[in-house]
Amino acid sequence: MVKKSYIVIGVIVSLMVMVGCAKKAVKEEPMVTGKAGEKAWEKPAEERERAGIDEKSLQASLERKKYPGIEGEFLESSLLKDINFGFDRYDLTPKMREILSQNADLLLKNPGVKIQIEGHCDERGTIEYNLALGERRANRTEEYLISLGLSGNRISSISYGEEMPLDPRHNEGAWTKNRRAHFIILSR
Amino acid sequence: MYPRVIFILICLLFTFIRPDVSLARVYIDIESPELQPLPIAVAQFKDIGESRPNVARTIMDVLTNDLTISGFFEIIPRSEFPQEINALADPPDYSSWLRSRAEVLVMGGYSSKGDRLAIEFRLFDLVEKAFLVGKRYEGSTKSLRSMIHRVANEITYQITGGKGVFDTKIAFVSTISGNKEIYVIDFDGHNLREITKNGSINLSPAWSPDGRLVAFTSYIKRNPDLYLFDLTRSVQIRLSTKPGLNAAAAWSPDGSRMALMMRREGNAEIFIINRDGTHPRRLTKSWSSEASPTWSPNGRKIAFVSDRAGSPQIYTMDVNGRNVKRLTFLGSYNASPSWSPKGNKIAYCGRSNGRFHIFTINPDGTGIRRLTENSGNNEGPTWSPDGRFIAFSSTRGGRSQIYVMNANGANQRRLTSTRGKESSPTWSPRMDR
Repeated sequence: MVKKSYIVIGVIVSLMVMVGCAKKAVKEEPMVTGKAGEKAWEKPAEERERAGIDEKSLQASLERKKYPGIEGEFLESSLLKDINFGFDRYDLTPKMREILSQNADLLLKNPGVKIQIEGHCDERGTIEYNLALGERRANRTEEYLISLGLSGNRISSISYGEEMPLDPRHNEGAWTKNRRAHFIILSR
Repeated sequence: MYPRVIFILICLLFTFIRPDVSLARVYIDIESPELQPLPIAVAQFKDIGESRPNVARTIMDVLTNDLTISGFFEIIPRSEFPQEINALADPPDYSSWLRSRAEVLVMGGYSSKGDRLAIEFRLFDLVEKAFLVGKRYEGSTKSLRSMIHRVANEITYQITGGKGVFDTKIAFVSTISGNKEIYVIDFDGHNLREITKNGSINLSPAWSPDGRLVAFTSYIKRNPDLYLFDLTRSVQIRLSTKPGLNAAAAWSPDGSRMALMMRREGNAEIFIINRDGTHPRRLTKSWSSEASPTWSPNGRKIAFVSDRAGSPQIYTMDVNGRNVKRLTFLGSYNASPSWSPKGNKIAYCGRSNGRFHIFTINPDGTGIRRLTENSGNNEGPTWSPDGRFIAFSSTRGGRSQIYVMNANGANQRRLTSTRGKESSPTWSPRMDR
């Protein structure tokens, strides 16, 4: 089990480093992809094991959900973690990349799963500019997952702007939670 | 449903001819920053048909409210009237009115038969001792308020040279029912009604120049698609459904096209589509976010928001996407531009000391003016069709509600008082055309 995850993580890390290098020439992204991977590498064994959750755990974690006023049900997994953005930012910090590579890991092990990335904003700023900002957050996240080896036709994205706060309160803590990319599963 | 459809304007009593003397007189200069309201006496309208006393009361309330909120008039209380106005046919006793502060006088009457109602009024200049205008309106009893708004429009036209906008409406987003639906309310804050009832997230209403359609964005099908609500038939039509945003639609002044935000290469850009949703053309090409287009009234330019310089600022461009110029340089967050109907101002929402306020700026970037003061967040400005008023949303009273002010920031008043949170007002064109 542990050995298997080592191999998987090893493959992902080398892939990430390769992609990171390849991308660097075109896009001005700092080469933190490799670093995030290395950090995961240095973690204690039990945590590594958690990062390398097997394919069944995602399927087992799925919960059926529906948004009021939006057609269709979808699935959600607590294993696919949100990433949180800075105010008026859409760039990915090393910490966010680490979360995304864990999400990607799970999704690579479940190749049939189709996801939608939701870009969300806090309530500050105009409704329409926040729609644009949510679009960029979702898109930047999607690009990164694709760079980690996920096929683009498994991913769609949507901006909800400031329309779906996770925490309805009006303070820094709530705003931080609300500036996020969230992952839902449209089909397993 | 709409007054234009429902009632027939009979009006124009040719028995009276407007004397030349009134043409020469300037009652109030509405362009003046220190506008002096014109003192006006409004006599109780006389019942000249079946007895319906509550009609007189409604006429008085609606008419004096319209004239007051316009900011152009000061209503002289009845206790200061030097004479009782009894007979509609007689001109006022001008000599007795010389003692009063009132400079103009409105008198009128109404008659009803079944569910039909007629209103007539006459306007006199008490200083020049002259009859100015008289008109008669007829319609169903349900359109009483609309008829009174037209009386107010006509009085305003006589005094200011421009027709009033008392029969216009404002559409906006409200959470009264829990989710964001589109609502419509009359200019005077009456007749609130829900337009969309789809239970979804509905955003950015935009009133078509012919007054019949409201474009908006809705998430019904798990994508921010563009819809039209047809006000005459009360139906919702799905119009533009490209994956990603189809949002913040703005009608071209001739109603043939819409500018809107759409996704291209992972970010929002400004596009133009035909009014049937077809043939999207991209206007902006950038790595940044573009948002909130608004057309100049001559249809040649579009102002919009872009964060290409690092923070959201307002830019203008030609309608083919060329000749992009940055308009705002003051402050780190300027958005929601709205081009005035006369073309000489752009209203927008800008952040100042941590709060959002309504500003106006000339289209060449000069003449910035802040219109709201230290009270809550003020967002989403929209102009009345005559360019004399701006509606916006504000949190100054707690929950975000819709407010209206004169275009120079004077006379700020609350339009809505609901249990919802309101945003994104859009002013209708004139219905009385």
